[in-house]
Amino acid sequence: MNNHQENQSLPDSNYWKSFEELYRDQKAISESHREFKEGVTDEFDPDKNLSGISRRKFLALLGASAAFAGAGCSDYPDKGAIIPYNKKPEEVVPGKANYYASTCAGCSSACGILIKTREGRPIKVDGNPDHPVSRGKICSQGQASILNLYDPSRLQDPMVYKDGFWNKETWSKVDKDIAGILKTAQGKEIVILGRKITSPTFKKVLDEFKAKYPSANVYSYEIFGDSIRSSAWSKCYPGTAYPSIKWDAARTIVSFEGDFLGVDGNKVEQSRMFAKNRDVNDPKNFNRLYVIEGKLSLTGSNADHRIKLSVAEQYELLLAFVNELSANSAVSSRMKPALKSLAASYSLKNIASKYGIDYKILQAMVKDLTANQGRSLIYGGVALSESAHIIINGLNDALGNTALYNAPGVEQFQMAAVNEIASLVGRMKQGSVHSVINVDCNPVYEFPADLKVAEAFKKVEFVISLSEFSNETTAVSKIVLPINHGFESWGDHQTRQGFYSLQQPVIAPLYNTRQREAVLLNLLSENPSTYSSDIYHKYLKSNWQLNIYPGINSAFGFEKYWLGVLHDGVALTSAASSGNYSISDQSFAGLESTIKLNGYLMMLNESPHLSDGRFAHNGWLQELPHPVTKVTWDNYASVSYQTSLKLGVKTNDLVEVNASGTKLNLPVVVQPGMADNVISVELGYGRSNSHIVADGVGFNANQFLSSKYTYSPFVITNVSVSKVPGKYSVVSTQDHHSFDDDLIKDIHKKREIIREGTVAQYIKNPDFIHGEGKKEHVNMYEDHQYDNVKWGMAIDLNKCIGCGDCTVACNVENNIPVVGKDQVERGRDMLWIRIDRYYSGTPDDPKVSFQPMLCQHCDQAPCENVCPVVATTHSPDGLNQMVYNRCVGTRYCSNNCPYKVRRFNYYNFRDNFAEGHYLGTSLELLHNPEVTVRSRGVMEKCTFCIQRISDARAEAIKDGVALTGDEVKTACQEACATNAIKFGSVNNKNSELYKYRNHSLGYHVLEELNTRPNVTYVAKLKNTFSEEA
Amino acid sequence: MKIDYSIEAPAIEGRLSIAQIEALIAKPLDSKPDKKFLLALSVSGSALALGAICVLMTFYFGIGLWGNNQPVGWGFDIVNFVFWVGIGHAGTLISAILFLLRQKWRTGIARFAEAMTIFAVMTAGLFPALHTGRPWLDGYLLPYPNQHGLWVNFTSPLLWDVFAVSTYFTVSLVFWYVGLIPDFASLRDRTTSKLKKTIYSIFSLGWRHSHRNWQHYEKAYMLLAGFATPLVLSVHTIVSFDFAVSIMPGWHATIFPPYFVAGAIFSGFAMVVTVLIFVRKIFDLEHIITVNHLEKMNKVILATGMMVGYAYAMEFFIAWYSGNPIEQFVFINRAFGPYYWAYWIMVSCNVLFPQLFWVRKFRRNIPLMFVVSIFVNIGMWFERFVITVTSLHRDFLPSSWGYYTPTLYDIGILIGSFGLFFTLVILFTKALPVVSIAEIKAVADGAQPTHHEEGGSH
Repeated sequence: MNNHQENQSLPDSNYWKSFEELYRDQKAISESHREFKEGVTDEFDPDKNLSGISRRKFLALLGASAAFAGAGCSDYPDKGAIIPYNKKPEEVVPGKANYYASTCAGCSSACGILIKTREGRPIKVDGNPDHPVSRGKICSQGQASILNLYDPSRLQDPMVYKDGFWNKETWSKVDKDIAGILKTAQGKEIVILGRKITSPTFKKVLDEFKAKYPSANVYSYEIFGDSIRSSAWSKCYPGTAYPSIKWDAARTIVSFEGDFLGVDGNKVEQSRMFAKNRDVNDPKNFNRLYVIEGKLSLTGSNADHRIKLSVAEQYELLLAFVNELSANSAVSSRMKPALKSLAASYSLKNIASKYGIDYKILQAMVKDLTANQGRSLIYGGVALSESAHIIINGLNDALGNTALYNAPGVEQFQMAAVNEIASLVGRMKQGSVHSVINVDCNPVYEFPADLKVAEAFKKVEFVISLSEFSNETTAVSKIVLPINHGFESWGDHQTRQGFYSLQQPVIAPLYNTRQREAVLLNLLSENPSTYSSDIYHKYLKSNWQLNIYPGINSAFGFEKYWLGVLHDGVALTSAASSGNYSISDQSFAGLESTIKLNGYLMMLNESPHLSDGRFAHNGWLQELPHPVTKVTWDNYASVSYQTSLKLGVKTNDLVEVNASGTKLNLPVVVQPGMADNVISVELGYGRSNSHIVADGVGFNANQFLSSKYTYSPFVITNVSVSKVPGKYSVVSTQDHHSFDDDLIKDIHKKREIIREGTVAQYIKNPDFIHGEGKKEHVNMYEDHQYDNVKWGMAIDLNKCIGCGDCTVACNVENNIPVVGKDQVERGRDMLWIRIDRYYSGTPDDPKVSFQPMLCQHCDQAPCENVCPVVATTHSPDGLNQMVYNRCVGTRYCSNNCPYKVRRFNYYNFRDNFAEGHYLGTSLELLHNPEVTVRSRGVMEKCTFCIQRISDARAEAIKDGVALTGDEVKTACQEACATNAIKFGSVNNKNSELYKYRNHSLGYHVLEELNTRPNVTYVAKLKNTFSEEA
Repeated sequence: MKIDYSIEAPAIEGRLSIAQIEALIAKPLDSKPDKKFLLALSVSGSALALGAICVLMTFYFGIGLWGNNQPVGWGFDIVNFVFWVGIGHAGTLISAILFLLRQKWRTGIARFAEAMTIFAVMTAGLFPALHTGRPWLDGYLLPYPNQHGLWVNFTSPLLWDVFAVSTYFTVSLVFWYVGLIPDFASLRDRTTSKLKKTIYSIFSLGWRHSHRNWQHYEKAYMLLAGFATPLVLSVHTIVSFDFAVSIMPGWHATIFPPYFVAGAIFSGFAMVVTVLIFVRKIFDLEHIITVNHLEKMNKVILATGMMVGYAYAMEFFIAWYSGNPIEQFVFINRAFGPYYWAYWIMVSCNVLFPQLFWVRKFRRNIPLMFVVSIFVNIGMWFERFVITVTSLHRDFLPSSWGYYTPTLYDIGILIGSFGLFFTLVILFTKALPVVSIAEIKAVADGAQPTHHEEGGSH
């Protein structure tokens, strides 16, 4: 018995349980040594024969299926929070977004948009890719307009002012009342005031209104309606509708006080076309931008050469150019003699020495303009006088640049000139106006202040306002009618020849509102108290069927055609005939050959975010840092460094600005690059009666607008400025650093955060930014291998103009809260992508650099190893992730982030800002359901739009294909009008990202830290003229 | 004045008898609280209440009430933490390291210094718990098994902190308590109150003053001293890792561990001196906590102050020597940037004022040493402020630079932390013997056999 081997087959004389044991079956013995039977501990694989399933697996499956059956078949008890579709709407799949094409009603550009809805809620706006102007892009105001839709402080019911109180009223009552009021006009004037009207069908409504009430007159007016440009145009060419411009065909652009990348015209289209010729893969075809300006605009910040010169002096420079250019025979032959004689006494050399301008730059401009005849452009900003615009028209004509003009634009309704408005207000004051209907406009705030329209309204019997929000005008109205947001409205728009934009609602009106067109249309019906909600929809459709469709020659029947154009958002008509422009000698008759403006000049500018104030009630836009000064939540008086010394003021000091008796105290911001003795102020602030977000933000500089001006409405002359005691805190997201501190000066260049060069340098040596070869940084550990998709981003700084549209897109996509001025002041803004702005050079001639900064998703992220609770980790596809649920908020990650892109929720910002304004229930609908709404005490940061990545991955898995990386577009990338942002997989050699990531101009910020960022910056090339000199 | 170095200065002055010693030390415990005590308690209690209100507000609204921001994620919260942990360093150093080094003069001050250590670490320990954005989830910092399979990150210095500080606190507390056992027995034997007797009996663990008791006690005390000694060095080393392990210029420095330990002992001794000056006066302990003791502590302050000064200089030297422009910028910015005032307060308080202690007269001058020790406390608080805030406020990208301004809540919590510390100290003086009765008896004249004929009184 001692040797088991020998006695294998002998029966065991001891206890035995089975025959195998008794006869010492080797297999049974070895099995008895194992705790579990074979297969029990294997991973579960349903593909295997299920009969081979272990007991544990079986029990687990049994339990799970019982649980599923129990949950699925029982009467689901929760009838409150979750309501499943009883009848599922055909087009809605829960969890899948629907996109609807529409038109943005934010401003008169009428851009095509694509609205993303989830389960019937609009949650995001992007440009409509099929739209010939938008091409898939939309500005920050358009992006942010979705916040206004859900704004709890929207007007929600008709209100009637009676005996000192505002009373809620029903629509049928107010409709009846208004119809009654209008009947009592009896020939006295009924005035309809509006902003620029771009809708042919709305025009038809207004025409019918005028037919029914013959004493009715329609005035459309906007502060920044470009009235001077169009009146100058009408003096040169037939019509007032000036054309849009082929910016992408211009090789040389000279801009006088123009901010076509910032606020002028359709900035999205203009910046796209401008940046098209800033392609690093085609450096020889870079355009060259010269900017002459008194303020420092976004366009000036992007200039290759910038000359600071106040508007007054620009007129002389313009005439000097006329004279200098006429030396070229080709230009001279086209130039009108009247223009030539006007400028005969000017020379560039004199102007250069008079105003201390680098003469070489002026010479280069002349050289470029003459060399690029028919491919250059001179552009004048809205602040220029009519004469200056006429001269610019003449110059473009002489240079043959009218080839860059498209067909004349379409103007539905001629804008009212300032003198018309003045005489209208005069009639109101005389009491000869019966009633005023303000259709979605704010005359009390916007009309020239000297007209005192609020007082004039008192002499008018009935003032009725149609508005989304209460404002300065609703305060002096008798009846206030709440109107739909653009996303709740039908409409059509035509701003140019060749296409219409269709507007369709994507959500039923949230409140008891009607769209403005429907309100007027309803007043035309026999019985206004009976209203049907599709009144304007039907009207619009029938107008199209009867009046527009027949002229289109569609191959489809109307119903099919109509659904088709609604789907596309755009109805293309016959192609626009290109314009044929010839200027007449007559245009230059009576132009002044010199102008003299005295004292300090005050420039009133359109706010890049709030426009003329119509977007003031939008926290995202208020909090979006100004592209150049980075100030949020305020306007201020910008002055040059020299002027600040003269006035004895610093940033945050107060000055009193006095323009012929109109006084206003404004805080100062010392702005490098401003012309001396110029004060630049933005309009759109200092709103009143406009609810919690807009009220009392900034200063109302509209009071300087006057119906009588000497140069242009936006240039106030003879202003006196003096320091007054007191301080005001102007809050910016980026510190103002001094230029004279050697420690700090140009530090972004010393640290190689910004690397720049010129086109000439690049052509000579494509690797110039890396100096003596790329530095290789060693790693102590073996690099992690990313075999499949690894996400990366490249930002082409040649194309980035620093506008901030990406920031707003990110806010909307990622549910980023508004924190308010006090928190921005504390340095707690929550922006995931910010645009860093750096000045280099001198305060008199600063060079401006922009750099979008977001989480760099470093391969060796310093934030990750310091988190004690592993709340920030690295994903297998190279993302630096935040696990909100796990985060306890030690903030160590933020401290250790060299890029300082992490954002901490110091409060529950949704209830912190302005007494919990953003806790309004309607605003909860705004949130992107794919993105967690972060609570107080949690760190957050850019995720590379991981929700979009997950979505693309799910799609790829569903389709059974591998993810290439090109499927995903981040929100910032989608919004970038100039396509500066590329995103994709760094391992995909065919992708655009790969090309830019490995570009010779590509670099990482703070490379020497060896954090190995996955955001590559493509160094900016300035196309300076010296290469040819 | 001539000093005879051949004669050891007596640890206790005034030739107190054993019974006198016991009566003197136990006096505050035998008597009812007087007006002075209640006044002191109300002052510190008010400060504590103020801090408590600020903390509760912070819980309710969030740490947005503080001045912290982006770039400066850590402000007063971490400054206070490091400050109080530093204060907690003197006690264990005195009781453990000086015990091992057979420094008899430690006996008069060891108990009190140890108590201060415990209270300071308790105060310090609040801050890491409070400073998180979601303090109700602080438990995530502990590695406990859970069904989510979540674990803590052992590469994070903040986690090391959790262990370092909690270990230090536990060992200090045990060490302190073991030292108290013979005293509890003496108090038990003295008291006539039944309640007190019960309490003292429980805490004295059946101590009978037997030789066997003493033998075990001495061994245990020695062992614990051995345990505690490395902790004195390790705790602040690990606290310094919070900074040194990061990549921020101004934080990422190899000098940090010794620099922090020296600074901690420096500030801890200063705080002990500050408090003892009052205690010896109020409780008539001038014979037990003598000027000699204070002078010795001042010498330690002088020495550690010089070490700290050396570290300041070395940081600048290395910044220059490294050739790293960002590092250089941070240090120039420290001394001449927007927070220059904090830097120069730090340098003058920590390096300049302690130089007075080179002079023996100044070392033994009680009002002067009080002033200097207060300055050192202020300076060391500012040292942590300078390290934490000025490094963060201007780091790599100039675009994200900012400025940190504390709010009233920050200041309220700082005051509250002093309130908590001093409330505990004041309660301690009335609840437990502030000087070790047993140890003092052991170093009193005549307690030990001597070969000097003149030396002892038999």
